[in-house]
Amino acid sequence: MDETLEIDTVPRPPKKNRKKKQPITWRLIKSQNQLIWMSVPLMLYIILFAYVPVWGWTMAFQNYRPAKSFGEQEWVGLKQFRFLFTDDNFIRVLRNTVAMGLINLVLGFVTAIVLALLLNEIKKVFWKRTVQTISYLPHFLSWIIVTGIVATSLSINDGIVNIVLMKLHLIKEPILWLSEGKYFWGIVGASHVWKEVGWNTIIYLAAIASIDPALYEAAEIDGANRYKKMMYVTLPGIKATIVILMIMSIGHLLEAGFEVQYLLGNGLVVDWAETIDIFVLKYGLAQGNYSLATAGGIFKTVVSVTLLLMANGISKRLGEERLL
Amino acid sequence: MGGKSKATFKLSLVALLSLSFALSGCGGNNNTKGQAESTKAPETASSNTPGKVEPFTVSVFLGTAGQQPTPDNKIYKMIKEETGASFDMEFLAGDINQKLGVMIAGQDYPDLMTGNTKLTAAGAYIPLEDLIEEHAPNLKKHYADYWNMMKDPNDGHIYILPNYGVYNGKVNSSWYSGPAFWIQKAVLKEFNYPQVKTLDEYFDLIEKYKEKYPKIDGSPTIGFEILNYDWKNWGLFNAPQHLIGHPNDGGVVVKDGVAEVFADKDYAKRYYQKLNEMNAKGLIDKETFVQNYDQYMAKLSSGTVLGMFDQHWNFNAAEDSLTTQNKIERTYVGLPLVYDTSIKDHYRDLAVLNLNNGFGISVNAKDPVKIIKLLDTLMDEKWQKLFSWGVEGEDYIVENGRFMRTQEQRDNAADATWQLANKAKAIFEYLPKTEGSFSDGNSTDAAAQPEEYKAGLKPYDKEVLDAYGFDSYVDFFSDPPPNEVYYPAWSIDLIEGSDAKIASTKLSDLQTKFLPKAILADPADFDSVWTDYTEQIKKANVKAYEDKINEQIKWRIDNWSK
Repeated sequence: MDETLEIDTVPRPPKKNRKKKQPITWRLIKSQNQLIWMSVPLMLYIILFAYVPVWGWTMAFQNYRPAKSFGEQEWVGLKQFRFLFTDDNFIRVLRNTVAMGLINLVLGFVTAIVLALLLNEIKKVFWKRTVQTISYLPHFLSWIIVTGIVATSLSINDGIVNIVLMKLHLIKEPILWLSEGKYFWGIVGASHVWKEVGWNTIIYLAAIASIDPALYEAAEIDGANRYKKMMYVTLPGIKATIVILMIMSIGHLLEAGFEVQYLLGNGLVVDWAETIDIFVLKYGLAQGNYSLATAGGIFKTVVSVTLLLMANGISKRLGEERLL
Repeated sequence: MGGKSKATFKLSLVALLSLSFALSGCGGNNNTKGQAESTKAPETASSNTPGKVEPFTVSVFLGTAGQQPTPDNKIYKMIKEETGASFDMEFLAGDINQKLGVMIAGQDYPDLMTGNTKLTAAGAYIPLEDLIEEHAPNLKKHYADYWNMMKDPNDGHIYILPNYGVYNGKVNSSWYSGPAFWIQKAVLKEFNYPQVKTLDEYFDLIEKYKEKYPKIDGSPTIGFEILNYDWKNWGLFNAPQHLIGHPNDGGVVVKDGVAEVFADKDYAKRYYQKLNEMNAKGLIDKETFVQNYDQYMAKLSSGTVLGMFDQHWNFNAAEDSLTTQNKIERTYVGLPLVYDTSIKDHYRDLAVLNLNNGFGISVNAKDPVKIIKLLDTLMDEKWQKLFSWGVEGEDYIVENGRFMRTQEQRDNAADATWQLANKAKAIFEYLPKTEGSFSDGNSTDAAAQPEEYKAGLKPYDKEVLDAYGFDSYVDFFSDPPPNEVYYPAWSIDLIEGSDAKIASTKLSDLQTKFLPKAILADPADFDSVWTDYTEQIKKANVKAYEDKINEQIKWRIDNWSK
């Protein structure tokens, strides 16, 4: 067992039958005044950094020019949104964002859970630690380094991927991976997995660590083998964590990324590589059109919040854990 | 209750004490510093000759990546001693647009910034004309003939002091920095220095050489390289205009004062079709459209690339590396290719005032007068010589009034590490500068001093030039005719966020997407890809782009004509 990870991060299941609401009285406030004071800095923090910036959304309805005061800005209504949604590229860009977001989500989940389950089965602490450390180190590299590594290893001159595939006689000619749109999503997904799998595993390992060992003993007495224990004890044990993380990740579906696609993309794969963020950079920020960039941001936020609420609702219907 | 208040009292006492310690610590420091300065001040004042020099720092943003000079850099030290100015330089790291976006959003500008239309549009520079009139006689004189050209077309103010394009005296030129089809010297030598005028002849040579030498130094020979990465996209986009004998106007060809986008024209198609054929023959690097700039430079530096279309300054560093590796035969000769010999080449142009470059003073600068006075001082011939040639006796010698370098000085000047300690390269690059000749007739650019250029030539280069009967590599190009008044169209500001700018972004997106596809296509499919491409361009409102260019061309003709 890994001592460093023994933090109990699993949220307790909420009580099914909620207590009747307690009326808020002056007495109650007075008796809890320390708690209220403690929450004030956090409230201020949230107001300052999460609500005040929403004011900037007004930019999306203007023809915003920096260095002019708010009163001098020109209001253009929904023009920026119209530009965004009517552009031929928008559907394609949205498709890419959603597709790569989904690939990252699903691959990220599956690989992290599988790795956590497998790591949990390793009894030698030394090996477990080694594997874990090696797998989470890439998390600390920036994307610019990772894409450099990816581009080099996919090169046709002396890229390791082509060399290995050639040696295994799987291909006859080196493949120019970055020139084919059909490979691009896969490359992005694989790079994500390589970079993040170890890091994502940590939380599941923590959840697994909090499972009562008595359950394993009981299962063993009932004649469960390793796989059965995995299926019927470990997995249900971390179900709550999985569901909560899933809901949260769905909210980030449109955050398919920007760096990987920007740095690995080129003219040949642009149809598969361009995401909303890149589109907004090209036609918004790079043109000094901050309003369009804001409109793109608003669109993403609205979609994300909707997805989050939907996932939460579905989860509630199914009687599973939920976030809100 | 008493106990509690006692505890509180103790706590506050501790807090108060620690605070007072911290404060007194700071105060003490300040005092000692103040003392040190006050004891030092008279010394410096007395050591400096006339008047006292007040030290001040100018913060500078340089819109290109670069290296900080060493702290004891010779030239910067002299500037500090004589004018009091030291520069706090910030070089670009990462993407320029992103950086500018952050700067503009935060209104966070240093005192001096290199010219950029985004910053102009954001109102980040102060107008300079009055400042120059009042405080900067040298600058006024320097720019006198170009005064109207420097004015921003949108509001008539001068925001930027252009760094290049203002000439004095005789202009010597031995180094061509612009676009051309480049070919390895070894290829020319192999075929006994043939005359190469047309695109077909050029690819013929490359094909024959590659057949003969499939490997160079153990690596496969690469016939032709096309860089199309981020904003460095001219390697793919710009060649067709030159092939029809037109100078570099960026994305348009201007005939009789009327601009047209050439990306989808037949003379462009002819070039890309040729590339398509060459690709089918395996002459074009397979990775060419996938690579980034670093990979491109690495390939050129390895000496395996026979040719490419590029601007000389863009791959200059790769040539330096080849020279260091002593592979002179792998460095390049620029050729002004055309479609057929009836067309006269017009690659070389007379240098133009670069309006999107140089320095502007930001709205945040506390003391613009001081800065403009500093720039004016540095415009003085004494400083200009220090910047371009260095210190007499150390960095160059004078023989019969002509500036020359010894071989050691020549080697030093080419050494990047030496430059960081002995040249003010980063700042001089963007300063207003004397170009052409100084008042004593010496060239302002050491490399352009004719006798210096000849003396510095490697034997291999001498051989190549002798074979063609030329004095320098510039002679491969036809002499440039006088520039049109509007020239060049690429320096026209399309205005951030305008329809024209959006159209030009769209156009370059389409080119980036379809041209590689067309070049790499099976020759039988080329036409269908091309049709698809031109259809898309028709949809992209290029009219708005052409209209804006034409409007500005007209404006320039009206306002710049003398």
